[in-house]
Amino acid sequence: MKYLFQILWKDQSRWHLLWAVLGTIAGFVLLLTGIHFYENMNKVLRENEDLLDPEYIIVNKEVGIGQTLGLGNGGFSEEEIAEIRQQPFAEQVAPFISNEFPISAYTRSRQFPNFSTELFFEAVPDAFVDVRSDDWGWEAGKDHIPVILPQDYLNLYNFGFSQSQGLPQIPKEMIGMLQFSVVLKGATEKATYPGRISGFSNRINSILVPYDFLTWANEKFGYLEQPRPSRIILVSPDPTDPEIIRFIDEKGYDTIREKLKSSRLNIILKFVLSFLVLIAGIIIGLAFLIFLLSLQLMISRSSEKIRRLNKLGYHHTEISRPYIIVLFTLLFIVTAMALAISAIISGKMAAMAAEWNMEVGASLSGTIYLVSIGLVVVLFVLNTFSIYLGTKKLCKE
Amino acid sequence: MKEVPTKGSSIWEAASFSFSQENSYLVEAPSGKGKTSLLSIMYGLRKDYSGKLFIDNRDSRNIGSAEWSAMRKKQLAYIFQGLELFDDMSAWDNIMLKNHITRHKTQQQVRNMAAQLNIEPFLQKHCGILSFGQRQRVAIIRALCQPFNFLFADECFSHIDKQNSAVAMELIREECRAGGAGLILTSLGNNGHDVDITLRL
Repeated sequence: MKYLFQILWKDQSRWHLLWAVLGTIAGFVLLLTGIHFYENMNKVLRENEDLLDPEYIIVNKEVGIGQTLGLGNGGFSEEEIAEIRQQPFAEQVAPFISNEFPISAYTRSRQFPNFSTELFFEAVPDAFVDVRSDDWGWEAGKDHIPVILPQDYLNLYNFGFSQSQGLPQIPKEMIGMLQFSVVLKGATEKATYPGRISGFSNRINSILVPYDFLTWANEKFGYLEQPRPSRIILVSPDPTDPEIIRFIDEKGYDTIREKLKSSRLNIILKFVLSFLVLIAGIIIGLAFLIFLLSLQLMISRSSEKIRRLNKLGYHHTEISRPYIIVLFTLLFIVTAMALAISAIISGKMAAMAAEWNMEVGASLSGTIYLVSIGLVVVLFVLNTFSIYLGTKKLCKE
Repeated sequence: MKEVPTKGSSIWEAASFSFSQENSYLVEAPSGKGKTSLLSIMYGLRKDYSGKLFIDNRDSRNIGSAEWSAMRKKQLAYIFQGLELFDDMSAWDNIMLKNHITRHKTQQQVRNMAAQLNIEPFLQKHCGILSFGQRQRVAIIRALCQPFNFLFADECFSHIDKQNSAVAMELIREECRAGGAGLILTSLGNNGHDVDITLRL
């Protein structure tokens, strides 16, 4: 091997190889930091669904004077729901259901001020709920009712009501400790359950209980006339679709338009990231070509020597070995450098994000290591193949 | 070796011809008659011939590159007319390049051969600065650094003086005897080498 290196490595310009290495490192770094950024953005977005909540749109009918005077029913009819279901932008559609019996709630607690209030519950299928809680759900025999309140309620209490009334502010984490009782009043029977707040929703502006609970309770206690659903929640694959706004306007429905606007941010972010990954892919592709051509150039520069070695009994696979060792070493350097640079960049990114109160991982994820190893293997295999082809061709001539 | 291709004159025209390991051959012809072509074909370097070449009863066209390489390491030694030395490497490294893949000779044996051929003082010199005669002797030693059934020596004494030629020829014969190998020499004219069979192209 010493002699082969001596023969084949002589008179070779190493500059083009340096460029190939630098180019591949640049491409790798772009790709890896792109993936890192994407992964972390997704994590941040999942944690802050209020920021970017693209898919879920709540539609209600505008309230007119007719409803105030009790002349019309404000809810959605079955035909109207069916029509919404048929819209191309509506991937999933679910009407809100509400209680068909009176509900009240009160608190008896030393730590918290006492309340007593009439109440309503609404429910949507669990998949539409943005609060992730193990407590959420209902099966017969459960000893308490999990409840989700709108985030706005907590804000209203903490920043408005409590201060003006001299009551203590309650942090989100302590809300779970708040004990209150829920009274369900049926036509003939009455039941009291402890209630517990499972979380606060940014998506649904209502007092939510599990869907299974409300259907069960309506069956057991319900005696009022079932009202038409007043709100509908739908999932749209593309919330930026102008067709949504057009349909809602045309039908005289209403929705929170701000949410549709903010969803664009997500789209733009994803677009920018895909663009970044695309650029990284192109750079890696080009760097791969430089690698390929550099090695082919080295081989063709040594064509006389390779033929001579073949005459002396060296097989083309033996002759290829020094090139493969060079390739392997260079790719190893490329990967190590790219991972090191990506780690430094992601560390800096994490520090920057921390200044904006965002938690971004400072270390690279397993996916990134897998991607880089996968890429290196592909580059190695393709280049090795091309080296074998190149030397074989020379030996055959 | 059983047959050689038939084309042109003499051997080329013969219906068939076999080279046997027991004999030494001298292929004698003026330039351009195909001495080197004949050896190249039997060494697997050239495929542009008609007719058939059998090596140990195998059609050479069925022999793949890996097998040719293996044969060039263990069965067929060749002293090329064009020498095929690497000019920017020392004579020693050139020889070792071959011995490295065959592991046939010890360094001492190589040095002894070089001493016999009077090129030991030049072993560490780059081949590029050696005379053609000196380089021919390097090529001879390199070819002997492998086991072989046949040694092809293509005008390998053309630039070596009579005395050194005789020594080199003796060295080659010794190696052939030791390995029970056949020898095929080519030459422009009979240089007084004592061979079993002389062929004219």
